[in-house]
Amino acid sequence: MPASLEYVAKETATNLWRNRMMALAAILTVAVSLSLVGSALLLKQAVSRQIGQWSNNVSLQIFMNASATNQELANVRSMISQTPQITHCTYLNHQQSYDQMKTVLSNEPTAVDALTPAYTPTDFRCQLRSPSEAQTVSATFNGGVPGVYSATTPSQSIHVMQQVTTILQTILLVVAIILLISSLVLILNAIRMAIFARRREVSVMKLVGATNWFIRVPFMLEGLVQGLLGALVAVVVVLLSNLGVSYLIHHYKVAVLGSAVLPTHQIVTTEVLVLAVGLVVGVAGSSVAVRRFLDV
Amino acid sequence: MIRFDNVTKSYKGLAPALDDISLEILKGEFVFLVGSSGSGKTTFLKLLLREAIPDSGTIWVAGRDIGELSHWRVPYLRRNLGCVFQDFRLLPNKTVTENVAFALQVIGRPKPFIESQVAQVLELVGLGQKGDRMPHELSGGEQQRVAVARAFVNRPLVLLADEPTGNLDPATSQGIMKLLDRINRTGTTVLMATHDVGIVDTMRRRVIELDRGRLVRDQARGIYGADLNTSTRGIPAIAAVGNGVDRLDADGPLSGRVATVRARRGQR
Repeated sequence: MPASLEYVAKETATNLWRNRMMALAAILTVAVSLSLVGSALLLKQAVSRQIGQWSNNVSLQIFMNASATNQELANVRSMISQTPQITHCTYLNHQQSYDQMKTVLSNEPTAVDALTPAYTPTDFRCQLRSPSEAQTVSATFNGGVPGVYSATTPSQSIHVMQQVTTILQTILLVVAIILLISSLVLILNAIRMAIFARRREVSVMKLVGATNWFIRVPFMLEGLVQGLLGALVAVVVVLLSNLGVSYLIHHYKVAVLGSAVLPTHQIVTTEVLVLAVGLVVGVAGSSVAVRRFLDV
Repeated sequence: MIRFDNVTKSYKGLAPALDDISLEILKGEFVFLVGSSGSGKTTFLKLLLREAIPDSGTIWVAGRDIGELSHWRVPYLRRNLGCVFQDFRLLPNKTVTENVAFALQVIGRPKPFIESQVAQVLELVGLGQKGDRMPHELSGGEQQRVAVARAFVNRPLVLLADEPTGNLDPATSQGIMKLLDRINRTGTTVLMATHDVGIVDTMRRRVIELDRGRLVRDQARGIYGADLNTSTRGIPAIAAVGNGVDRLDADGPLSGRVATVRARRGQR
């Protein structure tokens, strides 16, 4: 029914315009909270990518000499299997280690060119029962085992960094959730005011037999538009801040942070999520308002 | 068209607003619903619109038990019932045409249909030239004509009028009554709650009287009070109104209908 579609669109637009200060407040709150949500999500992904690149969740890494013999290799294997503190171990051969290096050093082509698989040291990546045992276990492997170049544990700084980001991320998410709730309440209130402003129309509509959905839809749409507009602002903010960060990383050639630059698909997924949350907040706020304040 | 079967409705803790009402209104009838304030007239109309639900009894509109209607079907019931009120209830920010068109827009009618129907009905109520006016630019009588146009534009089966002349002077009321009569002649059932003695007495249509929720009188070609002499005494202005309206009554749809009183006092 084109006549009623036109009507619904017109009503929604008029409502938004009449109620523009309330709508603006709701939209901005949604925008701020969703910017925080988006940033927190991107931060989490960037940090976990970067740390994953550095440590790959390995708590002990045993580097072999590039020239280690098979006998030495077998010897180290049996040592590992006899160490009860080690729960799990994978061995990366020459080719795998080389590929790994290539990704780690993807921003340093000259360094990659200098490597060949044969000269890349191979290594064991092991997980320990508990990180506190890392020092003692690495000491046994560093004690002159033939063929072993060195055994290392991820530096303390990674743990610190992980903890700091977790705290930061938690704070961001908590603030974002509080803001999301307040934006939901703001949208609810905006729709309530709109319903109040149009109570005459609503009563006439009921009288002449407009269906409940026909009466409700313009109000629900109004909330949806507010949520969506807020989310769109947030999408732009998140996109810009992400661009800013990757620009800084490239510009200052901080190669060790190369992996903190997120691939497009992760950014797109995050942005879609931000839009979806905005939509849900808008629809939820207006649904509650319509149900509570529009008795049809 | 409308049938009440033993309908009782009471509001919390009060004496029943309607007490065991049974009556039937046929298609094309013109019925006055009279009674003092608080006698249950408004409750009667609310029950018809299903703005309220009876405690017991059944209400039939156009052959349908409206108590059986699911919640989402109620709007479709209301499309069959046009409504006019004492306070007009026009939308102040819309023109006359927009006010009438609104009733069709919100039930999703196509645009060309709306345009032709609105023009037709404005012509019918005598406001063909005033479509672009705002409600506050019109007199009370003209505003009520707009309200009647809005109620009738969807060609309802029944037109419900709750004291439509309550805010109008006698001469203007007479005009509105002519209009309601014209609408009645198109086959639309008209049910009008009123306090206006003069109008009831001169129109001489079926009168249903409620008193404290009970049906005390159902009289074809009736008058406001129980008898003509007491009812019109002391209200000389009525004669003037009556002359105009009487003419309309010449071949009313109810002529010859036998009065039936179905009030069931003392059965409870």
